[in-house]
Amino acid sequence: MVKHILTLIWNKKKSNFLLFLEIVLAFLILFAVIAFVTHNVRRYVEPLGFESENLWVAHLDLETDMDSLTAVNNKERLLQELSQMPDIKSVAYGCNKTPFRNSANITGHDDNGFYLLSWLYRADEKFDKTLGLKLIKGRWFDKSDSNAKYPPVVVSQKLLDEHFGEREVLDSIFTIEDDQNRIIGIVEHYKAFGGEFTDEKPLTFFYRPSNSIETPSLYIRTKEGANIGLEEKVNNHIATITKSNNFIIEHIEQSRVLKSQETWVPIIALLSICGFLIINVALGLFGVLWYNINKRRAEIGLRRTLGATKGNISFQFIVEILLVVFSGILVGIFFAIQLPLMDIFDIENSNYYYAILIAMVVILLIVLICAYYPSRQAALIHPAVALHEE
Amino acid sequence: MLKNYFKIALKVMMRKKFFSFISLFGISFTLMILMILTAFLNTELGNNAPMSKKDKMVFIDQLSLLYMRPDTTMVLDSTYVGEILEVDTSYTYDKEQTSRSSSSPSLHFLEKHMKDIKAADNYSFYSNGHSYDVFLNNNKLTLEGCYTDANFWEIFDFQFIEGNAFVKQQLDNQEPIAVITERAAIEYFGRARQVLGEEIELDRKIYKVSGLVKTPTSGQMFLDSDVYIPYTNMHPKALSETHFLSNFHAVYLGSSPSKTPLIKSEIEKTASFIKMPNPERYNELEIYALSFVEDYAHDIVDHDEVAQSKRIFAGTLIGLLALFFLLPILNLINVNISRIMERSSEIGVRKAFGADAKDILFQFVFENILLTIIGGMIGFLLAFVLLYLINSSQVLPDTILAFDYKVFLYSIAICLLFGVLSGLLPAYRMSKIHIVNALKQNIYG
Repeated sequence: MVKHILTLIWNKKKSNFLLFLEIVLAFLILFAVIAFVTHNVRRYVEPLGFESENLWVAHLDLETDMDSLTAVNNKERLLQELSQMPDIKSVAYGCNKTPFRNSANITGHDDNGFYLLSWLYRADEKFDKTLGLKLIKGRWFDKSDSNAKYPPVVVSQKLLDEHFGEREVLDSIFTIEDDQNRIIGIVEHYKAFGGEFTDEKPLTFFYRPSNSIETPSLYIRTKEGANIGLEEKVNNHIATITKSNNFIIEHIEQSRVLKSQETWVPIIALLSICGFLIINVALGLFGVLWYNINKRRAEIGLRRTLGATKGNISFQFIVEILLVVFSGILVGIFFAIQLPLMDIFDIENSNYYYAILIAMVVILLIVLICAYYPSRQAALIHPAVALHEE
Repeated sequence: MLKNYFKIALKVMMRKKFFSFISLFGISFTLMILMILTAFLNTELGNNAPMSKKDKMVFIDQLSLLYMRPDTTMVLDSTYVGEILEVDTSYTYDKEQTSRSSSSPSLHFLEKHMKDIKAADNYSFYSNGHSYDVFLNNNKLTLEGCYTDANFWEIFDFQFIEGNAFVKQQLDNQEPIAVITERAAIEYFGRARQVLGEEIELDRKIYKVSGLVKTPTSGQMFLDSDVYIPYTNMHPKALSETHFLSNFHAVYLGSSPSKTPLIKSEIEKTASFIKMPNPERYNELEIYALSFVEDYAHDIVDHDEVAQSKRIFAGTLIGLLALFFLLPILNLINVNISRIMERSSEIGVRKAFGADAKDILFQFVFENILLTIIGGMIGFLLAFVLLYLINSSQVLPDTILAFDYKVFLYSIAICLLFGVLSGLLPAYRMSKIHIVNALKQNIYG
């Protein structure tokens, strides 16, 4: 049966070749777009690990026009006065690598006997409360940590997964940046570097008391529905104390939306172009198949007279088309598989395999839908009519 | 003759509505996407004001300070020579990077080391990204400030609506003046004209508006500021700092695009001679001097090596474009073959009455071109509507995709190419068909 169909395909190789080429191209496009989309969406659905709503960050300008002593005093004063405002829930300091920006401090070395790569963040004792971080083990920093023998650190679960596996690390001492540090807590997630479409990085939090010069970013957690009036009040307050207007109050939720827009726009554009291409190809395929099948009415009439059932006729056409499509997909997979093998893009390999699978299913579905109606029509041809035309 | 072809083409189109619809749908949507894409690329990468000379520019946006420590690897090779163990020791001397600090260069660094780049005709140092919150009538307004020198206005050709750019004299006198964009004028003063001499307050300083420029509608990655101020107005402490890293940028302008590699290599060479001020902390320096396209690609594809980013960026773009346009063309060819084959009886009759292959070929290509032009017009209208929607919805913040004549000409050209390409193969096949076969194949009316 299959051998017979293959002969039929070979006899019409010219028109089948174009169909085959079209399937290869459609597969490759679908593959590329789906790989890009799954890669991004899988990162997007990973939790952020903190609450971005009602969170403001004021980037203080500590360096200009202040000696360090004044700067330190101002920081303390700001913290106290702002936390007493009625609409503010909590206030904390962190370093300037704030969420949804591209800058980061990174360390990588093999001082522990294995290669350790970690993003670094410096924060004070109220940072976890203010951002809404979830600690799964141990504790966050407190004031007593500033004179610990081994400076305490809190690490993210991601760091443990990447470097320590199942090992129990709480209270152990490792070299993270320059010094030996004691791990005192584990945070479930903190996906803040880059944006929502960037994968979570292995991270270590270092403790800096609120008066440290290294933490110029002031995090403010406001109550629900804080308005422009509060913002102006906070702005004036900071400006009066620091004697500078060289800062802005950033709404973290706004930054999140803006940052993810950078990736949503190309995703949506690519998906809509892809959708249009699929409709286009489907329509074309439908037209071509319909024409090709209609052209073979005589053949169908003959087969029906010789005893082939309606099902046999539909089956023959669908198998014929599927064989051409499958060979197209196979060639497409051959090209597609080069991407994970050569590792050109910074995309996890499993995304490519998902994309191959999804692209294959989509194309098969479309072809089946487009082939079903014309084959059905062909099967309904009355043998007497078809033969009479001949 | 042509009139007859025209009539036949229209009749055929009306008779085979489904096939005509498939063709028109494919053509018009492909052209719409093509037009939007070219408009986008033209806006992003083309030479538009205020960056009309962007292909002659070289930027320094990033500087990295590194500490490299020598790293010695000892390798022991052991083999048995007869019964005796022989050991061969070899040492590899290498450098290992232990710390790295990257940021924009400082004014101090640029003025001290990067002023004399002979391959460049002009240069400018500027510092952008200074944001200030201003509260006006219960509204928050975030203004982006940019501190520049006077050359800045020669390199970037902003379109002045009112007033002038500031000159070197004014820069040296630390005059508190500002050039603002139309957007800033509307947001701050509530009007788009007659703002010269008005006062604008930034960072507790009052600046007098001395110029009003059109808001750039492209190149936001480089020029997104609202207020431009002579850099001598910056805080004295910011001006006197002697670190290498801060928040300044440099741009160099060559006399022609071919000069940019020279400028880049001269900057890199100059940088390699710089003595590090505190070698115990950082002992090496890496400078990134990039042309516009490299800078753009590097921003999108963040790869350690700039050349690699550019390759990936260009490769992906060209690859996707090729795939996206091959598919509709192929689809059109496929549909056209069916469309034309269906008319074999007509061809048979025409051939029987003496038409030769050339006539048949011409007729079908003509029909295809006609179809493409109709599809092109629909696509043109669709693109027009979609561009309007994109611009008004601000999906791309502050970017106005222009619908200019160049894009239109490209589209017409591509339109015709489509028509000829997708019609040629089936028409050629059909023109070669033998009269008898052509007449016989029409077996089902």
